[in-house]
Amino acid sequence: MKFGVDVAGLALKNPLIAASGTFGYGVEYEGILDLSLLGGIVSKGLYLEARTGCPTPRIVETPAGLLNAIGLQGVGVRGFVREVLPRLAPYDTAVIVNVCGDTIDEYAEVTRIVDQAPGVAAVEINISCPNVKTGGIAFGTDPRMTHDVVAAVKKATLLPVIPKLSPNVTDITLFARVCEEAGADALSCVNTFLGLAIDVESRRPRLAFGTGGLSGPAIRPLAVRMVYQSVRAVRIPVIGIGGIATANDALEFLIAGARAVQVGTANFVDPAVYDRILAGLRDYLSRHGLSDINDVVGTLEYPS
Amino acid sequence: MIIESVASLMPVSPPVNRDAVLVRREALRGPYFRLTFRHEDVARSARPGQFVMIKAGTTADMPLRRPFSVLGVDPDEGTFDLFIKAIGEGSRGLAGLDPGDLAQCLGPLGRSFPDVPAGEEVLMVAGGYGIAPFLFLANDLRRDGKRGQVFYGGRNVMDLQLREAFAQIGTALTSATDDGSEGVHGRVTEPLLSYLDTVSHPVRLYSCGPDPMLVAVARIAQARGVPAWLSLDPWMGCGVGTCLGCVVPIQHAADENPKLRCACTEGPVFPADVVVLHGDEESAARRNGRESVIS
Repeated sequence: MKFGVDVAGLALKNPLIAASGTFGYGVEYEGILDLSLLGGIVSKGLYLEARTGCPTPRIVETPAGLLNAIGLQGVGVRGFVREVLPRLAPYDTAVIVNVCGDTIDEYAEVTRIVDQAPGVAAVEINISCPNVKTGGIAFGTDPRMTHDVVAAVKKATLLPVIPKLSPNVTDITLFARVCEEAGADALSCVNTFLGLAIDVESRRPRLAFGTGGLSGPAIRPLAVRMVYQSVRAVRIPVIGIGGIATANDALEFLIAGARAVQVGTANFVDPAVYDRILAGLRDYLSRHGLSDINDVVGTLEYPS
Repeated sequence: MIIESVASLMPVSPPVNRDAVLVRREALRGPYFRLTFRHEDVARSARPGQFVMIKAGTTADMPLRRPFSVLGVDPDEGTFDLFIKAIGEGSRGLAGLDPGDLAQCLGPLGRSFPDVPAGEEVLMVAGGYGIAPFLFLANDLRRDGKRGQVFYGGRNVMDLQLREAFAQIGTALTSATDDGSEGVHGRVTEPLLSYLDTVSHPVRLYSCGPDPMLVAVARIAQARGVPAWLSLDPWMGCGVGTCLGCVVPIQHAADENPKLRCACTEGPVFPADVVVLHGDEESAARRNGRESVIS
């Protein structure tokens, strides 16, 4: 059976990628699971400098979901390149770096540093983090800024450039097209949905930041719909993200037209999730008399 | 600083993720349960104060796994025990398992309470279900011929579980309840202070329980010049330092300001003089003005 997929020149041994912000820098899971099982790993979002993130509480569980406001706490891009990348090199998995910035110049500078580093397969642009006051979602919900940041990152590297779209817009196809016009090679679709959970006793938000980003199975149908719409709006490939925890979840995105998928919140629930999904995909292909996962992609029979 | 924070992410000895069979379920009084799971790696290598991330069933769907302190291990049987208060979705799921059912379990995780030097007595100060790591520790102390006793506080007698287990191994235990339904009527720190007044041998404090109790223990440790370690219990998402949900403010002597550190990987046990607890920022700053008792 063939599980390898190609996303705009990014060759993946299978369509399963660990989503940014849910897998640390990858090395945290060394020894817990075999990182070579994964098609790819997207790093936590990286700025030029280290960040401290939001105050606590930062995460709260909601029905079938996780609301978070971490605020991109993390090491700077240089620390990542110097200390993390060499440790990921032995693994047979694609390392995708999620780049962030407060300004377009910072996005470009982070990308240039990543571009010069060995062992990076692609760049994902974070224009959709809802938990920072500048950058993040501010870029991803304004078509002009989306265009400019994608164009600037594209100019800074020869690696495949993959903007991660925000779902917090009225029409995601507008942003998908803007990214394509600005030179994006593929799209990650989608980041978390802006949410608010309230403690009724104290009448305060349950997260210290106030609002947060909702992930997990609760958002899956929303994300599948947005992937389906985006796939029809652009020619570049789309990577589906949103509440994937099982093989059937991943298949929904692939059938909707995603070329690959990212697993996010489920990493926290079960580090063995990749084993379980791969086994399920194998079973699905064999039950349907297929031998190549690519033959599933975009096969949705939508009522006319 | 970047190097330090990246280095701190690297696991020391990797925990093991596997499905764990429930071997035994003992219903205690009220919503409390003692559960025994088969997981050879936790059974072999867990230390008192370490925890597991665990949830009922074998799917990757929500809810998230929950952190539970290891109550005890049986390396020969390949099992470990947990003390569960079934009050939320995660804990009720575990309490609802029958022997033979599976749970997903990653462990052992986090840093344990430090080894107790010979000749020192450990005063284990527990609040409510913060008792869990201390039954494990009391067993180790007895095995190693070391001294320790428990000061156990709760709102009422229902909160004071597992006392007979300490009695069985001969560990002295002093109870205190807010409503006077068992033991000393008042805070657990009252009998602790009385005992500290009488001792002349070296002692150390290990504490696990609600934040206000930990604050009180930290203040007592500071006032009496006694070394203390606190086990923190913030909300955790992953247990391995990737979700960054469980960060707590930690201020070592060399730090100008507190830094947010993952309780799951750098704790949950921290020296009391580096923890900046909610409601105790002022005295934490004062503590930081002096030399750390921990080298």
